[in-house]
Amino acid sequence: MRKVFSAVLVLAILAAGFAGLVSKAEAAEELIVYTSMKESLIKGIVQGFEAQNPGIKVSYQSAGAGKLMAKIAAERQSGKILADVLWTSEVPDFYKMRMEGILEKYKSPKFKETINPFKDYDGSFHAARLGTLGIIVNTDRVKKDPTAWSDLMKPEFKNGFGVADPALSGTSYMSVALLAKKFGWKFWEGVKANGGRIGKGSGQVIDDTASGELLASLAVDYITDNKITKGAHIKMCYPKELLVVPSPIAIFKGTPHLAAAKKFVDYMLGKEAQTLVAAQGTIPVREDVVMPNKNFTLPKPKAALAQSIKIDYNEAVKTKEDTIKKFSEIMKKR
Amino acid sequence: MSQSAIKKESSFGVAHIILFLAIAILVIFVAWPVLLILFNAFFVGGKFNSKDFIAVLTEPDTFSALKNSLVIASMTTIGSTIVGTFFAWLVTRTDLPYKKFMKGLFLVPFMLPSFIGALAWKMLLSPNAGYINRLFMRIFETDQPLFNIYSYLGISLVEVMYLFPFVFIQVCGALERMDPTLEESARISGAGLFTITRKITIPLVLPSIMSGALLIMLYSMAHFGTVAVLGIEQGIYNIPTLIYEKIHQSAGSFESIRTGAVLSTVLVVTAAAIIWAQQKILSKGHYQIIGGKSFRPMELKLRGLRYPLLFFCLAYIGFTILLPTAIIFMIGSVDTYGVPLTWANMSLANYKYILTEYDVTKDAILNSLSLGLAAAAITMFAGVMISYVIVKMKVKGKGILEFLGMLPFSVPGSVIALGVILAWSGKFGINLYNTVWIILVAYVARYMAFSLRANTAALEQVHDSLMEASRSCGATMWQSLKDIVIPLVRPGMISAFFLIFLPALRELTVSIMLYAPTTRTIGVAIYTLNEDGETVMSAALAGIALILIVICQSIINRITKKAGE
Repeated sequence: MRKVFSAVLVLAILAAGFAGLVSKAEAAEELIVYTSMKESLIKGIVQGFEAQNPGIKVSYQSAGAGKLMAKIAAERQSGKILADVLWTSEVPDFYKMRMEGILEKYKSPKFKETINPFKDYDGSFHAARLGTLGIIVNTDRVKKDPTAWSDLMKPEFKNGFGVADPALSGTSYMSVALLAKKFGWKFWEGVKANGGRIGKGSGQVIDDTASGELLASLAVDYITDNKITKGAHIKMCYPKELLVVPSPIAIFKGTPHLAAAKKFVDYMLGKEAQTLVAAQGTIPVREDVVMPNKNFTLPKPKAALAQSIKIDYNEAVKTKEDTIKKFSEIMKKR
Repeated sequence: MSQSAIKKESSFGVAHIILFLAIAILVIFVAWPVLLILFNAFFVGGKFNSKDFIAVLTEPDTFSALKNSLVIASMTTIGSTIVGTFFAWLVTRTDLPYKKFMKGLFLVPFMLPSFIGALAWKMLLSPNAGYINRLFMRIFETDQPLFNIYSYLGISLVEVMYLFPFVFIQVCGALERMDPTLEESARISGAGLFTITRKITIPLVLPSIMSGALLIMLYSMAHFGTVAVLGIEQGIYNIPTLIYEKIHQSAGSFESIRTGAVLSTVLVVTAAAIIWAQQKILSKGHYQIIGGKSFRPMELKLRGLRYPLLFFCLAYIGFTILLPTAIIFMIGSVDTYGVPLTWANMSLANYKYILTEYDVTKDAILNSLSLGLAAAAITMFAGVMISYVIVKMKVKGKGILEFLGMLPFSVPGSVIALGVILAWSGKFGINLYNTVWIILVAYVARYMAFSLRANTAALEQVHDSLMEASRSCGATMWQSLKDIVIPLVRPGMISAFFLIFLPALRELTVSIMLYAPTTRTIGVAIYTLNEDGETVMSAALAGIALILIVICQSIINRITKKAGE
């Protein structure tokens, strides 16, 4: 009897283990979205989309843009890109993928309703958000708000300013490039001379600022908004040269779920999704969407683009690796 | 067909099938991936190239990672050896109160995964924001922190806290088994306590101390979590974290795989050297003298120090286990990182979110549980088979198996992860990349050593004569295996199962290199949440993981107790 029991027990355990694995292995018919947007932003959008399109289930993978691109590169090598749709803020990546011909051209009917930051639009990707970055400060430790980028070189930010690692975060990479373009590399050399440092991901520098580990950091709008709403002791400050980083969304060529992917892109550009985008505290790509501006005030999309630091993306593609390298060299020098 | 031919064939059948299977398992799961790493490290475009190998090693990044791995591992080893030996001596050789309870307590650190420990210490001792540092700065009105956890010393201390039980268990065992008459005769001959300790006790337990220390060295060199949480931001990389960064940042390019392969080769060679040293030390015949177990060892009277030392032990556990656990649960319950830890700021909202709304949690728990169960089951059966051949069978070709059987012991987790990427991502016909199966394959390779150790020990206790008796009574090989050997080694198999299941449940080093969107393990889910800046969420998930680990551990304790009765 005991033998039978233990045999059954062993079998049951084995079966449970394998059942768990097998149920994982056979994926249901679904749209896979890789995005660098955090849970707080992407989740609501996906739920809204699923509610409108009952037949389609969306799975998303939320991680830093650098990690996602590494994942996609590895998947390309193994022959099959798992993702159907990509939505990050690392614009040069999209230019590069367009050149390599792995993006599906799709001119969304909603496009003409949106504000377009890309001069050479051809349907390979659409801007689905205009992200901004500013300086956040820990309100317990910093009494005077910074108003200009050069304030970061002042003594009150000595050894206390952090930037997310541009190799991990797309928004961070774009900001580094934009600021270097506007003020020259001497800007970052000055930040370094004042004890600035590289952190990890774009979310972590914000948490490190909220905890007081850092005095200030370069931070993404909606992540900051989310944390302020939850009570974090931080404040967003925008110098007048605005860092605007569009977040393009693209469909991979050869996706088996092309129709669903197109629907998702249309939904993203529509009023409902853009209202959700605006509600999180970042700039939408439609002028007709209400921006609640809960914790700090953002300009409307057109005004934001007008105020932003301009960059030639085709140029940025070519210099991307050098930019990261140069930045790391400056910041890691001892 | 004559009868003898049939007989011969059948015996050929079972014995050789077992041997063949055993070799096949080890080759496919362990040897093949390792071979691919060596190949990729030394061959470029099909041609042998040692110049590049050296070039990669002398790159500043690689070289400093090597150096860091060694520095951190050495500091961790020395620290753990001192701590582990001291506590082991305290609970076996002194009249410390509540010794038995204390002995159990010192095994608790095993349950707290070291990367969760590292997260907790980051919250407590990060230079400007750590709660302990802030308290210190407020009380003494200074802006210098008490201790900076983002340092070599900090990383090593955290590793010591959660690794010292390796030494503790080994030394406890040796001290308990040691024949106390040796010490008594020395005492009768007039030697003082100091002389006895120096000339008798220490030489006798030294092999155990050394083997525990080497185990920690091996573990720490290839350990990902603590360094990833506390080191990377300050530019402190060790070998596994550098491999991780390279693979993740340069998009699995040949260059990064190659750097990984070169670093892995160094790890494998170092590990092999460590294992070799361990074998050397163990073979210096200590088991003859440490033989008895029914003797009651002489106890040192602590006198006035009894209660202060008990208090010290409790304070140590409180400081290294309770405090970090408490901070994890507290941070897990605040709305956002950085707000004061007051009751008003705390709620169960994060736990509720993690458990009911965050989709990754369910996936991660399910993945970790099923991976743990499957890896433990496969490895248990494979391990008993391989051990059986090594310990009991006398067949041709056993030498190969003995060599192969050593391999799992000397291949660290991050090396296995890289190896399975090379072996199973489509270049050889089968593509498991991005599926949960590639993690399973890696787990089987990683935990084979645990199973081999437990099963070999169990099989060595089964005397050959039992099997011979059954065979001479006419039982077939299969019958005697089933009715004699398996029942006798079952405790060994069960212990192998759980030895694998629990570590696999909280694994990070391997799965962080292999996960895909839906195949995160619990460890990966916690780590990525933290990396993405969701500090409070990662703490909440870590808290839930700790509860899960404690539940599993107590179920296991109950089962093994029953099996032991």
